[in-house]
Amino acid sequence: MKHTGIARRLATMAAVMALAAAACTSPGSSAGPAATSGGGGTTSPTQAAKQYVIGFSNTGGTGNGFREEQNCTAKAEALASGQVSKVVMIAHNTDSAGQLSDLRDLISQGVDAIVFNPSSADALNPALAEAKTAGIKTVAVDAYVTDPDTWNFYNNQVDYAYLGATWLFKYLEANGHANGTIWYTRGIAGHPADTDRHTGFTKALSEHPGFKVLPSKDGVFTGWDPTTATNLANDFINSGDWDKIDGVWTSGMDSQVVDAVKAASKTQKPIVGADLGAFASYLLDSTKYQGLVGAAVTNTAAVGGAGVAVALKLLNGDTLTSDPASTRPNTLLLKPVLADNVTDAGKQTLQSWQSVQGLNPIWPLSVTLPDWTHYTAEQAVACKGPGE
Amino acid sequence: MSAAATALGEAARPLDAVVGMVRRNGWALALLAFLALLLIFTKVIQPRYGVAGAQALAISALPLALAAVAQAICVIGGGIDLSIGSMMALTSVIAAVQMKGQPEEFGVVVVLAVLVLGLILGAINGAVIVFTRVPDIVVTLAMSFVWAGFALLVLASPGGGSAKWLRDIILGPFLNEWIPKSAIVLIVTVGLVWIPLRRSRLGLSIYAVGSNRLAAFRSGVGVGRTKIAAYALTGLFAALAGLGLTASTGIGTPVPGPYTLTSVAAIVLGGVSLAGGRGGVLGPIVAVLILQLIRSDMTFLNVDTNLAIVAQGAILIGVVMFGSLLQLRRARR
Repeated sequence: MKHTGIARRLATMAAVMALAAAACTSPGSSAGPAATSGGGGTTSPTQAAKQYVIGFSNTGGTGNGFREEQNCTAKAEALASGQVSKVVMIAHNTDSAGQLSDLRDLISQGVDAIVFNPSSADALNPALAEAKTAGIKTVAVDAYVTDPDTWNFYNNQVDYAYLGATWLFKYLEANGHANGTIWYTRGIAGHPADTDRHTGFTKALSEHPGFKVLPSKDGVFTGWDPTTATNLANDFINSGDWDKIDGVWTSGMDSQVVDAVKAASKTQKPIVGADLGAFASYLLDSTKYQGLVGAAVTNTAAVGGAGVAVALKLLNGDTLTSDPASTRPNTLLLKPVLADNVTDAGKQTLQSWQSVQGLNPIWPLSVTLPDWTHYTAEQAVACKGPGE
Repeated sequence: MSAAATALGEAARPLDAVVGMVRRNGWALALLAFLALLLIFTKVIQPRYGVAGAQALAISALPLALAAVAQAICVIGGGIDLSIGSMMALTSVIAAVQMKGQPEEFGVVVVLAVLVLGLILGAINGAVIVFTRVPDIVVTLAMSFVWAGFALLVLASPGGGSAKWLRDIILGPFLNEWIPKSAIVLIVTVGLVWIPLRRSRLGLSIYAVGSNRLAAFRSGVGVGRTKIAAYALTGLFAALAGLGLTASTGIGTPVPGPYTLTSVAAIVLGGVSLAGGRGGVLGPIVAVLILQLIRSDMTFLNVDTNLAIVAQGAILIGVVMFGSLLQLRRARR
């Protein structure tokens, strides 16, 4: 009992310190994509006295910078909010059946809310219905689920792909490759974000019908795994196909392609990637990566932290407004931003994204979402949740 | 012999039978005791663990338990099948694609067809091993790529659907809230195939071939035929596991999950000898429950996921070493 009392006092002190830190620091320094939702709500970290337990489930992408940052921002938001006593984090590579099992473990544990990166839009619905029955709030981040009671908070992935692909097609058209060939690399087959991005890419391609796509219009899957992406790039280069293409569209496995091309002493081709540290720095380094032309599109991993913020709003009874731009209910969308290394404005934007010290080069550069998250970029990099 | 002695002898017979049964299933019973202790431990660290937890455990264990039974059969027969995960993926996506948008009754036809397909896939594995004489581990590893490739050809990304009755058959309680339907499904499906098999000539032949291939051959057992039959049964249970996946998620996933290696871990923990000829299916099923529960406990204890994987491996090695020590001590006596 005595220990519990001490622990409680320590937790209260930590919460007060976190509140003070959150109040004294501006949330984040990096440029983030704009939240289009009007769901900002009214809850501030100072409002809630109750301490919640948040469950977090991430499947796939172990070793992937986006997923690592997503998990760390979730911990950081929980810490900075001052409303969370514990984050139960389950992050490993598994399939939908495995994630169902993870979600049920979190339900058994009696968490107050579950934030998760879904492996499938439909497969998790039974566990999400069980969570609702148990009074647990559920928030999907990075992709959507079709469960009607779960809130979805994610980057507008259709726009993400459309924006990047359109830039690539227009750049090539302006430089005499109107009927060029694109190497189309994707993420994880069946992941809702990948499916949405495919929709966006296909839409852009239909508006620029002169372009051909290799290996096919369905692209090739990297599994969002850096090793797989590197192997695929090496195979593509060694097959001789690299010399036949005019540009590359990647689903975030971008620096791996640039590195493989550099290692093979081949000519870089115009490439689209995400706002990952390594890729953005390559785009700005005209000495080491001479002739590299490309654009990065924001795909913030701060959705992990924002998901926790959304869960806390739901737990505190706040009203959220679904994004009218989405055809799905309970959806909050983030609008992606593109920056290239061709225009001065693009270069300046890329430069402005480089402000976070100690950021892992494979992490996305937009570490915070000022409209939603309360932690600092340094807290995200520290990757510590409450009680850690 | 006096009447008293006869009565004593008759009374001793059931006791002997029980002692014999305990001896034969000693490892499985020890695992059951370990599972019971683990459940108590789980309840201590997570007082809320109850009906929902038991239901979740049974549902998540179903595909893995069926995969472990699949692995156990071919390992008892002296082989090993590294294509179980891929066969599960292939049968799961075929079922999901065929059932999507179709009437409920058609689902029955699909399930039966998928089970036959499982038998065929397994028989192909066995036939390639027997006729090429390439080691089982090499053939099934190679076939894992073949079946995984076919799964991706059938369905490039997760999708499809499931008949509602197939989902209902495993979700929720049966008669009592503490009895999960998925546990009943597991007991019935395994019992329907394993009990008659264990008592049949084929079952004896599988044990004989796994125990000593040459001795079995000299005793008139058709080694090749037995091996193909064992692999076919492995395919059948892999198909059942694939259907379990479709039933629990409502879709088919073409990329195989981590089922093959987990099935190997489960049979090792479940007391099936990797040298063949020894073990049963009860041990591996209990082992799957233990492995699943340890994973849940790691979550309840909020252990880092990466550390939890290390801990699972360490526990697996520890338990198997403990079992080997006990066997060594028994052998010395």
